[in-house]
Amino acid sequence: MAEITVRNLHKEFGVGADKIVALDDVNLDISGHVFVSIVGASGCGKSTLLNILSGIETPSHGQVQITEDGRPAAKGYVFQAARLLPWRTVMDNLLFVQKDRSEQTRARCQRYLDMVQLGDKGRKYPGELSGGMQQRVGIARAFSTEPDVLFMDEPFSHLDAITARSLRAELQNMWQETRKTVIFVTHDVGEAVELSNRILVFAKGGHLADDIDMPLPFPRDVADPEVAVAKANVFRTFEQIGALAVS
Amino acid sequence: MSATDTRRDTGPADTAAPDTVDELPRRRRSHPVVRVLRSSLAGRIAFPIVCLLVWLLAIRIVTSIWPFAVDVLPTPTQVFSFMWDELTGETLAPRNVYETFGISLRRLGIGMAIAMAIGTVIGLGMGLSKRVNAFFNDWVVAILAMPNLAWALFCSLAFGFGDVGPIVTVVLTGIPFVIINVREGVRNAPTDLYDMARAFGVSRADTIRHVLLPSLMPFMFAAARYAFALGWKGLVVAEVFGGEDGAGWTIKFWYDAHRAYGVIGYALLFVVFALLFEKFLFDRLSGYFFRWRPEVNAADVVEQRFDAPGVATATATADSGNGTHATTTGPKPERGAGGDETRRSHDG
Repeated sequence: MAEITVRNLHKEFGVGADKIVALDDVNLDISGHVFVSIVGASGCGKSTLLNILSGIETPSHGQVQITEDGRPAAKGYVFQAARLLPWRTVMDNLLFVQKDRSEQTRARCQRYLDMVQLGDKGRKYPGELSGGMQQRVGIARAFSTEPDVLFMDEPFSHLDAITARSLRAELQNMWQETRKTVIFVTHDVGEAVELSNRILVFAKGGHLADDIDMPLPFPRDVADPEVAVAKANVFRTFEQIGALAVS
Repeated sequence: MSATDTRRDTGPADTAAPDTVDELPRRRRSHPVVRVLRSSLAGRIAFPIVCLLVWLLAIRIVTSIWPFAVDVLPTPTQVFSFMWDELTGETLAPRNVYETFGISLRRLGIGMAIAMAIGTVIGLGMGLSKRVNAFFNDWVVAILAMPNLAWALFCSLAFGFGDVGPIVTVVLTGIPFVIINVREGVRNAPTDLYDMARAFGVSRADTIRHVLLPSLMPFMFAAARYAFALGWKGLVVAEVFGGEDGAGWTIKFWYDAHRAYGVIGYALLFVVFALLFEKFLFDRLSGYFFRWRPEVNAADVVEQRFDAPGVATATATADSGNGTHATTTGPKPERGAGGDETRRSHDG
């Protein structure tokens, strides 16, 4: 079981007058097979938190620990843009992030490509695929390393509404099937309510303003009154903490 | 009776609808001769024809003003028969054209390899470090501004006759392009891909091999093309002054022999050679290295984009036309068959 522990996390960029505080004294405990969404207006530090958790950035001070049954957890990442190597085929892009290139690994990669309905596109180059397909490859790549924790940074924000909707459903199924711990950053409250068990609301200045449990059963239909009420509640929280003031 | 009436009614409508569908493709697929004339191949072929006409015209005009010019102004026939003799191995020069170009090509190859190796190292340094960049920057620009004639003269003075002078000229001509291109390549490094590699814990060696090097490839390739084109010219100038053989020396041989057709013919062989190289080596290589690029031919993409909506609207209007008639005359397939029959009966 994955355990994420964050203690007194602080991150700032720049020096002197240009100093920007991105994260301010963040404390967090996440454990088990949960889908956690981090929401907030742009510039509230949600992507920075994700980058620190995943190891792309280092904190100014504070501790982050991510373990799976006591050992360091394996991590996967889905970015806002697909970030595929344009000079390698879809299959090679998946193999690029693997520990080995054995037959088993190949079979696993193929399985995840099948799961995102791109099983026949392994030999294509990313440039030959649509934006939605590329993002699917990004998702398959993240799952194919069979990570304990999966980080996703606004993975659907660049896509059109219909593609985003179908990918959300796909992601939901894959999460149900594989039961990973997912940390999902988004600025779309509806998306967060639809997908997650738990919503962390970040406010301007990079502090964690609220921590909301979402016990409704999956799959959630946006038209369902209960889901609509939950969504309204999250928006109310936003208003209370003034997170929406800027947007 | 009523059946034939509906047939007659639908007849014109039926023939009208397919016509709109046919017309657009027909306009696109114009007469084969027109198509050949419009193609870019025709444009390419037209250029040498125009050049040839201008050449013949110029000889006629100049010789009409100054008749003695016949001796120095070679005619196309003279030049082409000279080139043919050279290509078939019949030459008055000490070596035939293949040996000569072989010698020059070897020098060019060695010079380019040295320029690429040193230039890549310096370019990487300049792209990665501001200090290294400051150290080299002005000198790279200075070397770039230096005419290669100056390098050629200097190298033939410094190294005498032989291989070294021409090779050093190629290195000095080519190296600034390699340096500048590699530096730009490093500056344009895909940082988002590096972050991706780091997030997935990909090893440093794999990141260099699969992210850094491929992202530098387009820049290296551009550098090699420039180094080839300019190094080739520098090499010839160097061989004129400091060579005992090679393409440049042979052009000078024909110059010393007062054979204008020899000078022009050899220069043309030289151009043909460079073009073949460009076409068969660089284009093949770039096709191989950049096969991942979605659409290499930009013109084709533009054409497709402009054509596609037209075809779509044509089929759409045809469909809607059929649709409206289908409601008045019954099921589509029957009606379509009937229309064909009437047309056939009209023909017969």
